[in-house]
Amino acid sequence: MSNLNRRSFLSLALGALLAGGLVVGCNSGGGTDNANKGPEAPAGAEGNKATGDTIKVGLVASLNGDLRPWGLDSDKGVKVAVDEINKAGGINGKKIELMVEDSNSSPEQGKSATEKLISQGAVVVLGEVASGITAQMANACTEKGVPIVAIGATRDDITDIGPNVFRVCYQDRLQGPVMAKFAFDELGLRNVALMTDKKQPYSTGLSGSFRAYFEKMGGKIIDEQFYESGQTQFNAQLTNLKAKNPDGIFLSGYFNEVGPIVKQADQVGLKNVKYMGGDGWDSKEILATGGKAIEGSFFCNHYNDKEDRPEVKSFLEKFQAMHGGLPGTTMGALAFDAAAVVIDALKRCPSDDVSSKTLAAALHETDGFRGVSGDITFKGHGGNPPKRALVVELTKDGQVFRKAYEVTDFPDL
Amino acid sequence: MDLTHSLLGAVDFGLLPQQVVNGILLGSIYALIALGYTMVYGVLRLINFAHGEVFMLGAYVSLFVAWGLGFGPGPVSPDQTSNWVNLVIMLVASMGVCAAVGMFIEFFAYRPMRNQPRIASLITAIGVSLLLQYAGALFLPNSPPVPIREEVNPYRANVLDVPLKPKSADLLAQTKQAQVALDEAERTLKDTVAAEGIKSEFDLSPEGKKVRDARNAARTKATVTQNAYDQSGLSLRIPYGQLIMFLTSIGLMLILRHVVMNTAPGRAMRAVSLDYDSASLMGVNVGRIITLTFAIGSALAGAGAMMNATFLGTPLTTFFGMQPGVKAFVAAVLGGIGNIPGAVLGGLLMGIAETLVVWVGYGDYKDAIAFVILILVLLFRPGGLLGSAKVEKV
Amino acid sequence: MYWPVRLASILAAVGGCFLLDALARGVDDYARRLIVLAGIWVILSVSLNLINGITGQFSIGHAAFWQVGAYTAGYLSVTFHGKWGIDGLPWMILMMALGALMAAVAGLIVGLPSLRLRGDYLAIVTLGFGEIIRIVVQNQKPLGEAYGMNVQPKFQTVWLVWLMAIVCIAVCRNLLRTAHGLPFLAVREDEVAAGAMGVNVTQVKVTAFLIGSAFAGVAGALLAHYEGFISPQMFKMEQSFIILTMVVLGGTGSITGATIAAVALFYLPERLRDAPPVTGAALLGGLIGTIVAVVLVKRTVDRFHGPKIGAATRYIGSVVAGIVLSLALGAGFGMIPKLASQSFEAEKLRMVIFAGVLIILMLIRPQGILGTNEFSLDWVKSLLRKRKAVEA
Repeated sequence: MSNLNRRSFLSLALGALLAGGLVVGCNSGGGTDNANKGPEAPAGAEGNKATGDTIKVGLVASLNGDLRPWGLDSDKGVKVAVDEINKAGGINGKKIELMVEDSNSSPEQGKSATEKLISQGAVVVLGEVASGITAQMANACTEKGVPIVAIGATRDDITDIGPNVFRVCYQDRLQGPVMAKFAFDELGLRNVALMTDKKQPYSTGLSGSFRAYFEKMGGKIIDEQFYESGQTQFNAQLTNLKAKNPDGIFLSGYFNEVGPIVKQADQVGLKNVKYMGGDGWDSKEILATGGKAIEGSFFCNHYNDKEDRPEVKSFLEKFQAMHGGLPGTTMGALAFDAAAVVIDALKRCPSDDVSSKTLAAALHETDGFRGVSGDITFKGHGGNPPKRALVVELTKDGQVFRKAYEVTDFPDL
Repeated sequence: MDLTHSLLGAVDFGLLPQQVVNGILLGSIYALIALGYTMVYGVLRLINFAHGEVFMLGAYVSLFVAWGLGFGPGPVSPDQTSNWVNLVIMLVASMGVCAAVGMFIEFFAYRPMRNQPRIASLITAIGVSLLLQYAGALFLPNSPPVPIREEVNPYRANVLDVPLKPKSADLLAQTKQAQVALDEAERTLKDTVAAEGIKSEFDLSPEGKKVRDARNAARTKATVTQNAYDQSGLSLRIPYGQLIMFLTSIGLMLILRHVVMNTAPGRAMRAVSLDYDSASLMGVNVGRIITLTFAIGSALAGAGAMMNATFLGTPLTTFFGMQPGVKAFVAAVLGGIGNIPGAVLGGLLMGIAETLVVWVGYGDYKDAIAFVILILVLLFRPGGLLGSAKVEKV
Repeated sequence: MYWPVRLASILAAVGGCFLLDALARGVDDYARRLIVLAGIWVILSVSLNLINGITGQFSIGHAAFWQVGAYTAGYLSVTFHGKWGIDGLPWMILMMALGALMAAVAGLIVGLPSLRLRGDYLAIVTLGFGEIIRIVVQNQKPLGEAYGMNVQPKFQTVWLVWLMAIVCIAVCRNLLRTAHGLPFLAVREDEVAAGAMGVNVTQVKVTAFLIGSAFAGVAGALLAHYEGFISPQMFKMEQSFIILTMVVLGGTGSITGATIAAVALFYLPERLRDAPPVTGAALLGGLIGTIVAVVLVKRTVDRFHGPKIGAATRYIGSVVAGIVLSLALGAGFGMIPKLASQSFEAEKLRMVIFAGVLIILMLIRPQGILGTNEFSLDWVKSLLRKRKAVEA
């Protein structure tokens, strides 16, 4: 018995030692090439090249899961742009082949989808609407040297991941201050409380940027309360808030929880309080869930479909013609812009060399492209175009445009 | 002392009564769901993981009934009014369908597992739970999440105000004055906007802006005085919807207690939970009693779901039942699983604990507290608060 | 085992890893990623199998240990890499060791309450522990809160992942082959009896949790350095259920089963990406057909006591009947316009299939496909022997 014990243990230990030894041996010997392969240098990655008479463009969208309404809109928006150029004969005779993959609203699957698109020859990847997923995709793209154009990823540090990470939306760096400035200057609020969804990176980031700018302007953030997406009853947080006498509450989460929060705030007895939020509010459902209490609240958005600009009108017409209805969220317009910016850059690529490399270079040269959501300029700004941000008011009949802010309104950012 | 101060520095003790009430309101839903867990565990020794999904289905049933009653997803006509009858219809429908679903699950998934090891039935339960969540996601409206319209709730605007200490009359006068001043300022602003011929108050000229600033100041003053008035006394605010939730929960629990303690099926149920084999030898139709247990437990979950979805306005997805389900299970274990008053006590304690964690300013750890309590209870009192630990006999 | 044989098998395993690595260079990045992730899932599945299948401690929070390992390695890499004077592979080994250590500590913390709890109580404690870990991580600024954190340096090799998978398999297998392993099985079969026979039940349970969670921690460290990015989203409760499904499908207690099931269940959803969409009619038909087939098979298993060959025929017959019914019903439901027009991306069915597999398996073969059997020459021989006996 004891003999068997010792022998088995010895062999176990021997096995482990051997494995370890081999591993180390490999490293010092012929295996150097393995070890060095670890941190891959993006500089060596060449990306893809368009071959034949099509240019492959990949799109990763949340066709399922929590972000489905936005994923569906981004899919539709991109299709409008691609369909338009293909009907017009393509780019230098080359048609665009759009490949769509589902991220299922999950970062992990978003990354798998991206790598699959790249291995299938996509010269550029479009997407996603959420920062968490986009970060993973940007990692994959940067490794392979493929440019990525994000649709709705507003988190600031997304574009730091690689040199060829672009976005067509504004950043939280702008969105937070826009609402802070609006609250301070236009609404005259001085004591604002925050409510943050701890489960959503979007929400924590936005709360942070709002807080920083509002305090810089001289306002006071009197309290911050936390919840997690999926929670249904917010009495406890709201009771705490009420005791702090806020004259405004900034809700940085997504519409699913914001509606019930505002409705319950009314029941808790918060009166004369202005509610504000970011583009996570953008949906039709928020009016149904928030009820009467949410009317008269303000949030920051990318564009407004009642804006009087030719780009907006023609986009809405094309969208209506192709999909038989208007986009439910702003992501339709942003996705259209993302695809249109890429198409615009593709046109500027040398016709005999359409590749990830030339496309990235052309994207960096984009200057004053007239998009549906405003002008887009990458030249001199890296991947972050200076975008407009609109403040809209929620009324009974939907979103009403109130005030537009340009990046230049915030010289101190 | 210093530590206490830094930990509880920001805590407003004046809010304690209100927060406890909030906790009880929250806990009453946990208690309703926990009853289902505890009953099934009592008779079958099985954690019915799918119970949270029955809860979710109940919420969907209420949604569809609300649609059927004319409060559909589209615009609701202004003359469409609701009354308590609608709510009762929704409640009964939800309870009925949930009871049926519970029996169905028991018959197809759990009954064939009766003679298998308990772990096998537990895995089946997890499987049923996942199946309902994900297969439900294919067929039920869930993206975007759909709420039940608030118009279906006739009591949405009513709040019960229970005074504990009278509020200051001085402040009331001030509040009224501030409100009058605010109305006045609003009117002036409106006139100014009209006079300047612009669309909204955000395009005002510099002079107009002064008017607006005055309005803003008046609004701030109104808020501050209103709150000061509210806080000068001590009163508990309970929205009617949540009050109904609480009272219905208590009512259903009392009925359940009556059924279990004083009726023949209830006695049989207790016999089965005490000793499965002996009960069947004594002529109890065990199969029928188990079906009945599932039906009652699921119906209670259905009631909780209908009230939760209707009065709190939560948008529904098929994953709606997961969180409350797990927490209610923790509540059942906390009170002593298999013990009916224990489940109610556990549910209420859980609700209060969660609320108090938010109250002291650790809202970001709110969802962890349930599990911390669970682990502590299991470590120090494995039978739960009202239960007794059983020694396994060989 | 005779030592040259052992040495040869170790060499073969290590060689196999490098062969796989060499082969993986020939395929595209997407396929290589799948190979690496499959290896990580194998580690997770086999390590949970040690806790769940072999020792019989029902843990459904395995993703928590995975997360602890990933965040430990990720955080240390980001903070200290380049400061301790080591780099490359030694650094990676250090990170794996530390990840394993922290995960083992977490395993110890969960393992201790399990001394007093059994079965379903333990299940709910592990589930709760997973949630606590997620919430704590989500609230730490240095760990990137809900957003997650970028991990540098990356270390993306196929061979290391698979080598660790093989080490994990070898440790579990060798443990069972020794006198140290028998108490684990004894605890699974009957805790009270095992205790009465002088097995130190406490020690066995805690050891199982320690080893199992340590390997999950290794898997975490590998994942963090492969992906270069970790976030709480990647370690949701759902992931624990997927690992559990792998163990249960393969056969609770069978290391071979856990390995094969991990690869199969990881690969299946990726295949589904390319599958054509399913109509609502086909889906409903398939569901009902499957249920009928399962019930028939279950009856065959329960009621049939005749010769084995007859049982097999009925078994296959039931499955065929199920398929025929599915097709017929699918066509039937196709008449209903609403169901025919509804179409689902096959990928969306992923979790539905997982759930279905769990239920069906529990109904007809609760011990999993391989049961407690291991794939080995002896097992194949014994199968053949049985077959001969039946024929005779």
